[in-house]
Amino acid sequence: MSDLWSRVEPLLAGVERPTRYINSEWGARHGDADYRVALVYPDAYEIGMANQALQILYDRFGAIDGVAAERVFVPWTDMADAMRAAAVPLYTLESCTPVSACDLVGITLPYELTYQNILEVLDLAGIPLRAADRAENDPLVIGGGPCAFNPEPMAPFFDAILVGDGEDAAAEIVSAHRLAIASGLSRAETLAALARVPGVYVPALYEPQYEDGVFVGVTASADAPAVVRKRVLADLDTYRSPICTVVPFMDVVHDRAGVEVLRGCARGCRFCQAGMVYRPVRERSADSIVRDATAALQCTGYDEVSLTSLSTADHSQLEDVLRRLSRRLEGTGVTVSLPSLRVDAFNVQVARLLGGGKKTGLTFAPEAGTQRLRNVINKNVTEEDLLRTVTQAFSAGWRRVKLYFMIGLPTETDEDITGIGELVGRVFRAAREVTPPGERGGMRVAVSVSTFVPKAHTPFQWEAQIPLEEVRRRQALLRASMPGKGVDLSYHDSDVSFLEGVLSRGGREVADVIEAAWRGGARFDAWTEEFKPQRWAAAFEETGIDPTTIANRVRRVDETLPWDHISVGVTRAYLRIERDNALAAQTTVDCTFDGCTGCGVCGSSLVANILAGERRG
Amino acid sequence: MADTTFRLRVRYGKTGRLRFLSHLEVVHGLERAARRAGLPYAVTKGFSPHMKISFGPALPVGTAGLGEYLDVWLRSYVASEDALALLVGASADGLAPEAVRYVPDREASLGAILTIAKYDVVLEGGPALPEGLRSSFAAIIAEGVLAVEHKGKQKIFELASTLPKEPVVSTDGGRTTVGLTVRIGERGSLRPEALVTAALTREALDGRIASVTRTELLVEEDGSWRAPL
Repeated sequence: MSDLWSRVEPLLAGVERPTRYINSEWGARHGDADYRVALVYPDAYEIGMANQALQILYDRFGAIDGVAAERVFVPWTDMADAMRAAAVPLYTLESCTPVSACDLVGITLPYELTYQNILEVLDLAGIPLRAADRAENDPLVIGGGPCAFNPEPMAPFFDAILVGDGEDAAAEIVSAHRLAIASGLSRAETLAALARVPGVYVPALYEPQYEDGVFVGVTASADAPAVVRKRVLADLDTYRSPICTVVPFMDVVHDRAGVEVLRGCARGCRFCQAGMVYRPVRERSADSIVRDATAALQCTGYDEVSLTSLSTADHSQLEDVLRRLSRRLEGTGVTVSLPSLRVDAFNVQVARLLGGGKKTGLTFAPEAGTQRLRNVINKNVTEEDLLRTVTQAFSAGWRRVKLYFMIGLPTETDEDITGIGELVGRVFRAAREVTPPGERGGMRVAVSVSTFVPKAHTPFQWEAQIPLEEVRRRQALLRASMPGKGVDLSYHDSDVSFLEGVLSRGGREVADVIEAAWRGGARFDAWTEEFKPQRWAAAFEETGIDPTTIANRVRRVDETLPWDHISVGVTRAYLRIERDNALAAQTTVDCTFDGCTGCGVCGSSLVANILAGERRG
Repeated sequence: MADTTFRLRVRYGKTGRLRFLSHLEVVHGLERAARRAGLPYAVTKGFSPHMKISFGPALPVGTAGLGEYLDVWLRSYVASEDALALLVGASADGLAPEAVRYVPDREASLGAILTIAKYDVVLEGGPALPEGLRSSFAAIIAEGVLAVEHKGKQKIFELASTLPKEPVVSTDGGRTTVGLTVRIGERGSLRPEALVTAALTREALDGRIASVTRTELLVEEDGSWRAPL
């Protein structure tokens, strides 16, 4: 293998933050291998290094005999330009091997606005962008992650995409590929062999069909399953949480150790894709959480460990875990943190155990301003829950709270919008009442408002996203209804939400748009200062695709959707029932607290919720 | 009531690829190494408790250091050879502790006492470079002051004080090395690149800086210099 370091090094004096490109971190693994996997996170180093899935896969691939897993991030624009000018191809951090010389290139699909970075990676690596153009000796390019549940917009760029949990599939994919190499299979034969690995989707084997320009479904070739079912790791405790992870020198986002305490969430919020696609709920046991958190802190030297998941406060043994950890960490300056809290699961006891006396901001997500609309989206928290929680927190000394809301939810009226302003006003007054007069000046309620983006595999997958002009009207209405003093209001960029809507529910035709946008210079679109809506407008224009027909169109419930051949285990019938319930403002329970709601995931994947103890609602 | 603590001074290197770290990255990296080493470090009191640790003068991104220093306060005494072994075992290559010693707690901070820095600046260039540099340095020093622009601000350095020794130019094959000794003043220190660049520009010399290494940091006391450890 050629080591590109001597060609990389001279470029570093001229770029910002060279730490991104030098490897050498504590925990980075180097070893001889006959099979090399490039693990690509399609964003800058400081974003990708915070990704827990990457750490899990680094462990899982690295555990296979003879396999080296090596990290790759997207060089910032200055470094990419320098590399192109010096004809230095993209390399893996650990061994400085050209990405194109690896056997497998695994690319995470974390968020729609990183899609064009994936093309940047392939181009810098010198790998043909489209799977159809790759030669026998090009590496296999395999995707996976949160956006794999509607893989179509990125399908032409991948040889294969894994749907669902990667822990077990990693080794199966490598063995299938090694066997193919040993048997001298052609690339096409190799792809057919990969399609037989459960959960692996090989786009080339599925041809989209159109009638009068209308998408009517895909035809699967004889070698491939008609429907690709997501992989589910039945028990999270099958594998330890990554312990000796790579510890960056650079200040990265979420710069701390992490233990995934549970996977999946059955709260059933109807807008939430993660809540539908990561079912069932699988809790790690309290003993293994405490063991892994302690070991990870020891091995990495971090001063913070985060207990991560979609809804950590729901873990049935959270208080026990926090008590045990805070006892162990006493006097070390090391803290425990949780990603965010549910209003109804918050209690001051938990928050105290967390902060070690620190009273940083608390974050809650009521999502909607009226009870009616919260029932529509099945966000089962009440205004009383919120006010009680805020009162408790401010009584106990907290002075800052952040509230997340969405606008543009199905059935939303102007009353729901002004309801957000009124609710925030009541929150502020409740907080003020229990805050000593001398400290009221330091009170802050931050309100962050995003635009609802309907996602695949949710009860709202058929809904229209509200058009941009309407977003702006509702934002203005919200601003006018918001109490001014002590409240900081911020919005997500509505152009970003629109594009996210197009990329998340588009079909395979959207691949042309993504490629055109990248050719037009789109890179790092998830970075506010880098995102240029006009590049995307030009790409839509060039490809003749009208984005509003994807984002802003209501679909019939019997319409064929681009992701119908991907199954997450939750049935379409359940999503339709949930949609009907939403429109009737009827709520649905959480099956980890109450009875089964019939979503279908346990039966279809032969799995079940795993709870470490009893959940108390 | 003040708890008894033990002030452990650590000499470490910042070398190889890790010379590209920023000072903040060095700080984070070494704090994490101290935690991994399992040293019984003291924790500050107050709103946001953190490790009690203090660093010598910062090195810029890209500049290597062969003898850099930090002080870390321990809650209990650990034999210095054990402390060193624990630290070495928990450190990345390129940012590695090399020697430790306990120092009196009353001693002033590293930032205050480390006022002499020695650098090696390696250049690539034509055959006339060494001689050109020598005469250029002599001319600059004869002027007595050097004005340096950095990030839009101009700083004036009094060379009699800033350069306690004259630059030494030596050659080895195609490479020229300038040995510089710089006094770190209260209002910042002269970056060695700035002086060498001024010398190159002054005589329009054919030369390019290939690397900068801080080789030593020293304590200046009653007119003589000593190692801080």
